[in-house]
Amino acid sequence: MNKLLLRVLPIVLLLAASQFTLAQTTTLPSVYGRVLDAQTGEPLRGADISVDFKKSGVSTDSAGRYRLYLPFGEYVLKVSHVGYNPYRTKFYLKADFELNVQLDDVTKQLEEVIVSSAATKRDIQTPSLGVTVLSLKGIKKLPTMMGEVDVIRSLQTLPGVSSVGEGANGLNIRGSNVDQNLIYIDDTPIFNPTHMFGLFSVFASDAIRDLELYKGGIPSRFGGRSAAVLDIKMIEPNTDKFKMQGGVGLVSNRLLAEIPIIKEKLSVMVAGRLSLNDFMFKWFAPNYLKNIRANFSDVATKVFYRPNNKNTISFSSYLSQDYYRVDSLFSIENVIAKRTSFDYGHTNFAIHWNHYFSEKLNLMLSAASTVYKTKTYAPDTVNTIDLNSFIKYKNLSASFDFQPNDKHKVNFGGTITRYDIDPGSLNIGVVSRVATVKIQDEQSMEAAIFADDEFKMNEKFTIQYGLRYSQYWRIGGGTVNEYTPNRMPSLNSIVNKKTYADGEVMSSYGGFEPRLTMKYSIGENSTMKFGYNRMQQFFQLLSNNTTPLPTSRWKTADQFIKPQQSDFLSLGLFKTYNENVYEASLETYYRDVRNTLDFISGANLQLNPNIETQLVTGKSKAYGVELMVQKKKGEVSGWVSYTYARAFSQMIGDYPEVQSINGGDWFATNYDKPHTFNMMLNVQPTTHHSFSFTFAYNTGRPFSSPSGMYEIGGKKYPVFQERNNDRIRDYHRLDFSWTINNPSMKSQRWEGSWVFTVYNLYGRQNPYSVFFKSSKTGLRAYELSVFASPFISLTYNFKFL
Amino acid sequence: MPTHLFRYILFSTIIGMISWACINPIMDFKQIDSTSYMTIEADISDDAALNKIRITSSANRIISQNPLAVTKAEVYVLDQTGVKTIFKEGTALGTYLPPVGFAGKVGSTYRLFVKTLTGKQYESVEEKMVPAPEIENIVTQFEVRDQYDKVDPRRNGFSVYVDFKDSPQEGDFYMWNWRHFEKISICETCEGGATWNFKTNVCVAPRVPTEDILNYMCDGNCWDISNNNELNVFSDVLTNGQKISGRQVARVPFDGYSPYYLRLEQRSITKNAFNFYQSLIAQVQSSGSLFDVPAQTRFSMNIKPITDPKERVLGIFNVFSVRKKIYFIDRLKSVPKEEFALITYLTGEIYTCPPGSVNCQDRVPCVESAYRTKITPEGWIL
Repeated sequence: MNKLLLRVLPIVLLLAASQFTLAQTTTLPSVYGRVLDAQTGEPLRGADISVDFKKSGVSTDSAGRYRLYLPFGEYVLKVSHVGYNPYRTKFYLKADFELNVQLDDVTKQLEEVIVSSAATKRDIQTPSLGVTVLSLKGIKKLPTMMGEVDVIRSLQTLPGVSSVGEGANGLNIRGSNVDQNLIYIDDTPIFNPTHMFGLFSVFASDAIRDLELYKGGIPSRFGGRSAAVLDIKMIEPNTDKFKMQGGVGLVSNRLLAEIPIIKEKLSVMVAGRLSLNDFMFKWFAPNYLKNIRANFSDVATKVFYRPNNKNTISFSSYLSQDYYRVDSLFSIENVIAKRTSFDYGHTNFAIHWNHYFSEKLNLMLSAASTVYKTKTYAPDTVNTIDLNSFIKYKNLSASFDFQPNDKHKVNFGGTITRYDIDPGSLNIGVVSRVATVKIQDEQSMEAAIFADDEFKMNEKFTIQYGLRYSQYWRIGGGTVNEYTPNRMPSLNSIVNKKTYADGEVMSSYGGFEPRLTMKYSIGENSTMKFGYNRMQQFFQLLSNNTTPLPTSRWKTADQFIKPQQSDFLSLGLFKTYNENVYEASLETYYRDVRNTLDFISGANLQLNPNIETQLVTGKSKAYGVELMVQKKKGEVSGWVSYTYARAFSQMIGDYPEVQSINGGDWFATNYDKPHTFNMMLNVQPTTHHSFSFTFAYNTGRPFSSPSGMYEIGGKKYPVFQERNNDRIRDYHRLDFSWTINNPSMKSQRWEGSWVFTVYNLYGRQNPYSVFFKSSKTGLRAYELSVFASPFISLTYNFKFL
Repeated sequence: MPTHLFRYILFSTIIGMISWACINPIMDFKQIDSTSYMTIEADISDDAALNKIRITSSANRIISQNPLAVTKAEVYVLDQTGVKTIFKEGTALGTYLPPVGFAGKVGSTYRLFVKTLTGKQYESVEEKMVPAPEIENIVTQFEVRDQYDKVDPRRNGFSVYVDFKDSPQEGDFYMWNWRHFEKISICETCEGGATWNFKTNVCVAPRVPTEDILNYMCDGNCWDISNNNELNVFSDVLTNGQKISGRQVARVPFDGYSPYYLRLEQRSITKNAFNFYQSLIAQVQSSGSLFDVPAQTRFSMNIKPITDPKERVLGIFNVFSVRKKIYFIDRLKSVPKEEFALITYLTGEIYTCPPGSVNCQDRVPCVESAYRTKITPEGWIL
C-alpha cells in the first residue's frame, strides 16, 4: 500500500503542478522556441511538446513556435512530430529560456538496414531478384549468445530459416535439410558452418561485409545444391586509411586490421578470432562435461589490388580450426578408447580477377579451393586410433556481366569443379591393434554453363530468366559392387566388384536447371514476385543424427546414389508504406525434392565401404507461408514475422519391406515446425546507446513417441513403431542486449563500445529432444534442454580509425 | 589508452552465471499411440542354465504395465541335423524351458519354431553358435569420477576390464554380462509399524501407522542377485584377430569393504543379435545427446511371422556360447585414503521372539526369484 502511494503521489503532485502552471501563466518563467525541419529549415507545425515524459498539451503553431510556462526546476523536454526522430533534452529553468529544435525526417534518414530485399551495389549489378541481404552492421545489433556475433543464429530470426534446435549444426531453409544449402564465403564453399559441434558459426563476423540469402529465386550462376544459397562476402579492405577493430568477449577475442600498402591500389585485410573456452568448461560446465577441452580459431585475409581503373584482383583466404577432447561422448564404435580428440577445419582460398572492358561489360575470373579435413584420434593407448577424412574442392569460374542497355542485365559464364574425397582412412601408417581401414577415395567433376537475363520490360514488370546446364561425372579409379539383381543391396548379395581405371567415367548425370523470377509492380509501393527454379545436387551429407557431426561423411553421387533434384515455386507480395519506413511482405512457397536419402533402421555409416547397403532413397516436400512487417528507420526499428511451414519426407526405397520408414507413409522431418513467430526490436534513443530485443517462438519439433514397451533380458525398452509421431514442447525465448557506444563520448581515433547481452532472458528450459530411459516401473521420458538458463555476457569492442 | 584497454579486458572477463544443458524428467508424459506386439526372446546357449525362451505380448503403455505372458504355445528348436528340442512352459508363465540338461553345441546351427494357442506361427532364420574365447585377464581399478559429489554412489567404484584374444576369422561379436550375489541376513523389512504375517507372508500395517521399522532375519542362507544394467556389445570389425585389452565390462559400486563377488560372462553372439542389441543401445543407453540417431525399433530381426507376413515381431533369437569367470574384487586395495565406501546401514530393529515364548516364529524364508536365491552361488568361497 505504501509503495503504491509512493508511486502515485508524485504523479498526482505533478498533475496538480501542471494545472497550476496553466492557471498562473503570467508569473512563471517559460521555455519557448521554434521547431524546424533539419534538412529544409521549414517550420514544423503540430510538433508535440512533452515535459517529464508526459504530454503537456502544447504543440507548435504554423510558424513552428511554442511556449510553455513551468515552475522553476529541472525538466526533461521532448519534442516529437510524426515522421521525425524525436528530440530530448534536460534543462534547468530559472528564467525564460529559448530552445530551438531541429528534427530529422525519418524518411530521409539513411536506412539502418538489417534485412533488405535488394542486392548490394556493384559496378554493374548482376541479376539478383529474390535475394535477402543482411548487413553485418544490422546483425551486430541483435542480441548474441555468449557475446558472439553469429550469422547463422541471426539468420534464424528471418522467416523460413530455422534449425533443428539450439546448438544444432547448420540451417534448414524453407524445409531443406542442412546439406541442401550452399554456403559460400567469397565463393569458396563451407561444408561445416559451425564451431564447437554447432554452438557458434564459423564466420569471423568482423571480416564479413554482408550476407546474401537466396531462399526464393536463385540465379543460374549458383548450382550444386537443391535448396537455398547463402553467399557471404568478406569486406574489401580500405585502400585509403589504416583501420583496426576488435573485441574481447566471453567466448572469443577478435581483431581485424585493414592496412593500405599502396595508397588507393593495394591493401590487406586480416581478421582473426581465437576462443578461450577451456576455462569455461573447467569452471562452469556441468560435471559430465568437465573434462571437455574445446578451442577454435579462424583467420580470414583478403588482399585487394587495383592496378588501374579497369582491373581489380583480390585474393582471399579463410582458415578455421576446431579442437576438442571429450571423455567418451563420441568415439569410434568398436574401439576401446577412453578419451578421444577431434580436429577439423577449413582451408579456403580464392583468387578473383575483375576486368572492366567497358561500362557495359565486365569479366570475373575466379579460382577457388576448399579443403575440409577432419581427424579423430586417441593416441594414448595400445588401441591407438587415427581416423582422417577430407574433402578437396577445386573450382574455376568465368562469368560475364553485360548490360547492353538500361533494360537488360545479363550474366553468363561457365564453371567447373573437381571433388576429391577421402571418406575415411583409419590408422594408415600407425602402429596399433586397431585395424587399418581405407574407404576408397572418390573423385568427381561437375561442370556447368549458365546464363541469366534480368529484363526490365517496363516500369512495372521485370523478369529474370535463366538456364543452367550441369553435367556430373564420377571418375575412377575405383571399384563398384555389383549386387544380385532384384535383391536389396547387402553384404550377402554382392556378386562382383567392377574395377574402373584412373580417369574412367564410373557414372554420370546431367540436366537442365531452368530459373525464373518475375517482379511486377502493382502500385507505386507494391510489388509481386514469382519465382521458379529447378536445382540439382550431386554431393550430399550422410548423417542419421539429429544434427550432423562435424565428422559426418559427404558423398558424391554414384551408381547407387542418384543426384537430388528439386523444383521450387514461390510467390510473394511486398509493400512499403510511409516512404519506405515500413515494409510488409507475404511469401508462399512449395518445394518438391526427389532422390533424398535416409537410412535403414540401425544403419552403420561409420567406415562402411558398402554404404549403399545402408541407404533408403525417397522424396521430400515442403511448403509454407511467410509474413513479415519491418520498420526500417527511426528511433525504434525492427520486424515481426510469422511463418507457417511444413516439411515432410517419404521413404519407401526399392525394397519396401526392409527399407521403408514409417511404412512408406509421409512423415514430418526433424525440422518440421509449423508455426514460427519472430520479433526483433531495436531502440536507439541516441547514437551513444541502443537496446535490442529478440523474441522467438516456434512449435516444438517432432520426435518419435513410443507405442509401448517390451522386455529383453529382464530390462525394459520402448517400442517405436512410427517416426516423428509426436512433438516436443513449444520453443520460446527472449533475448536482450544493450550497446553503449563510445562511453567517453569524446571524439577520438580510438572508439570503444560495450555490449551487454542476456540470452534466454526468462530462462526457459526449451527442449531440444525427448528420450526414454528405463526405470523401476517402466520407461520414463526425459527432455534435454541445451541452453536452459539465462546467459549473461559482456563484450568490449573497439575501433581504431 | 593501453592501460584503459587492459582494464576493459579485465572487466570483460567478468561473466554472470553460466549453466549448461540440463535434463529433466517429463512428469506428465502422454503416449499418443499404444500398440502391443508379439515378443519372442529366445536364448540358446552352450551353458544349460541359460537356455530359455520367453514369449510375451508387449505392453502398450511405457509405464506401470508389464508385458503379458503368451502361454500354452508350442515351442521347439531344430538343429542342423533335424534334432527337435521341445521347450515346455515352466512355472513362470510365458517362459519355456528345454528338457533338463539340454545345452547347445558350438558349431551347430539352430532354428526356432513357435506356434501360439491362436494358431499364429513364427520361425527364426538359422543361427550358428560360434565359440567364445576365454577371458584371459581381468583387471580391476578403483576409479574416482570426480565430477560427482562425495555422497553420490556414481563417484567411487571399481572398473573391471577384461583382456581376451579375438579369433582369426572375421565377424566375431561379443557381449558381456555380469551377475553379483550379495549374501544377506535380513530377508524382509516392514515399515510404518507393520508386522510380518507368517501365514500370508506379507507385512500387515497397523490401523495407525507409526515410524517403527521391523527387520526379519532369513531362515537360512540367502543371496540378493544383481545384474548389469547396461548392454555391452563389441564387434571385431576393427580389431580382427588381435588381443583385445582393456574392454570395460563392469563398474562395481564402492558400497562396502568386503570382497565383491562377480560372475562375468563373455558371450559370442551372432551378427543379428549384435545388430539388435546395438539398436537397443542407440535407443536407450546413448540417447539424450545433440546427435541422437532416429528412435526406431528393429522389428523381426531374425524371427519372421509365418501366418501373417505383415505382422511385426519384436525380440531376438539369440544363439550364443559363453565363457565365465568368477572373480572376487578386493575392495580394500588401492583405495585412496580420502575416499570412503558409501555403506547403507540397517535402520529399525530386528524382530526376535520374546524369550520363553512358545511356537514363536521370527525368521522368514528366502523366496526364490530373479533377484534372490538360497542356492549357494557357483564358486562362493566367502
